[in-house]
Parts: sequence; C-alpha cells; structure tokens
Amino acid sequence: MASPRRLYETTFIVNASLDDSQIDTVIGRIQDLISRNGGTILAVNKWGRKRLAYSISKKSTGFYVNMEFEAPAAALSPLERAYQLDELVLRHLTIILDKKAIAARKAIQASAALAAPDPSTPAPAAPEAPAREPLFTEQAEEKKG
Amino acid sequence: MAMYAPRRSRRERDNQAMRKKRTCRFCDAKDIYIDYKDEKRLSRFVSEQGKIIPKRITGTCAKHQRQLVQAIKRARHLALLPFVSDTIR
Repeated sequence: MASPRRLYETTFIVNASLDDSQIDTVIGRIQDLISRNGGTILAVNKWGRKRLAYSISKKSTGFYVNMEFEAPAAALSPLERAYQLDELVLRHLTIILDKKAIAARKAIQASAALAAPDPSTPAPAAPEAPAREPLFTEQAEEKKG
Repeated sequence: MAMYAPRRSRRERDNQAMRKKRTCRFCDAKDIYIDYKDEKRLSRFVSEQGKIIPKRITGTCAKHQRQLVQAIKRARHLALLPFVSDTIR
C-alpha cells in the first residue's frame, strides 16, 4: 500500500536460439511474476528476433520483448531479481514512463488514429504544407550569405 | 591593433557558415519525448564509431541533448546501438 503505483516499461532480450514455445514460456513467467506482485500488464510487444549491435555472451541475435505495465514500486525488485537469475534473458531494461513519455505516446496514438482513416478523409494533406516552409526560408538565407 | 582585424573577420565568416544549422531538430519537430526504441533516429546522432555527436555539431538544444544522451545509452544497453562499431581498417 505504501508504494505508489506507477507506469513502467520493460524491455528484455531472450536467447533467440530457443524455440518459440520456450520463448513464450519465458515471457509468460515474467508476466506471471508482475501480476503476482500486484501489477497489471497493459501491453506486450514482441519485436521478434533481431540482430544485436554487439554480441552478448557470444550471441549475435536476440528475441526482443517489450512490455508496459502498471505496478507498485515494490514489484520491481523481484522482477529485477528474476531477470538476473534467468539465464535465458540476455539483457533487460525497466524504466518509469514519465509524463513526457505518456504524452508522446498519446500523440503518436492520436496521429495513428488520424492516419488510419487516411484514404477516406483528405485532412492529413494540410499539415504537410507548413512543415515544408522552413526549408525554403533556409535556402533563401543561404543565398544571401 | 593590426592583429585583431583578421581574427575578427575570420570569426565573422565562421559565424555566417554556422548560422544555417543552428536549430534543434527536436524543437522544430515539436517532439516531447525521445524514445530509446527508435534506433534509426538515434543512429543519426551517433558517429560512425558509435560515439555520441556533441550538440555543438548537431545543433540540438541542451534540453533535447540530455534526453538524447539518455536514450542513446539505453539503446546501447539493449544492443540496439553499438558502444563501439568496429571500423574495418
């Protein structure tokens, strides 16, 4: 009760040499742990197998999973511990989604919602014009110089 | 007295060259948040070696540079961006 509930985002890399079912069990384990500690999972994004920018424990690919969840702060330490003990998890990162991130997310969702009915409505054509204007002024300045 | 004259004029010339780039891309785009997951965008602010490019070169404002640095470091941790990319030479 004492710890406040916050919105978190966690991303982790699972060993990509495992089968999809095994990866799913790893993801399930993490989800289970979060919900068991009083958290609620809001979204799970599987990015799939990706090339790592550098090799982690001699592996060049990893299965990326990104999760958003709301949980009390007390749920974080068991999660971190589970990550560290799990040998199938190569890397993990948990961050608090701050106000800015949430606002940006909403803006993206709103623009995505606008873009979705794109063919039916010609509205998105209007915002393009002002975006181009600064380019022309820049060019004009260059000519002056 | 004579020493100052050429120095000042050179500085003026440099200033003229610099003026074009002096806008923060994130301010222009009105971005509120720089996401560590957006590796394509972050890679534009990283040199070929993988170093973070200083704001004096990219023209990013201090506020956004701070966010950018944090995002790049997070992306590096998750192997989305390299700490050092090996140059083949």
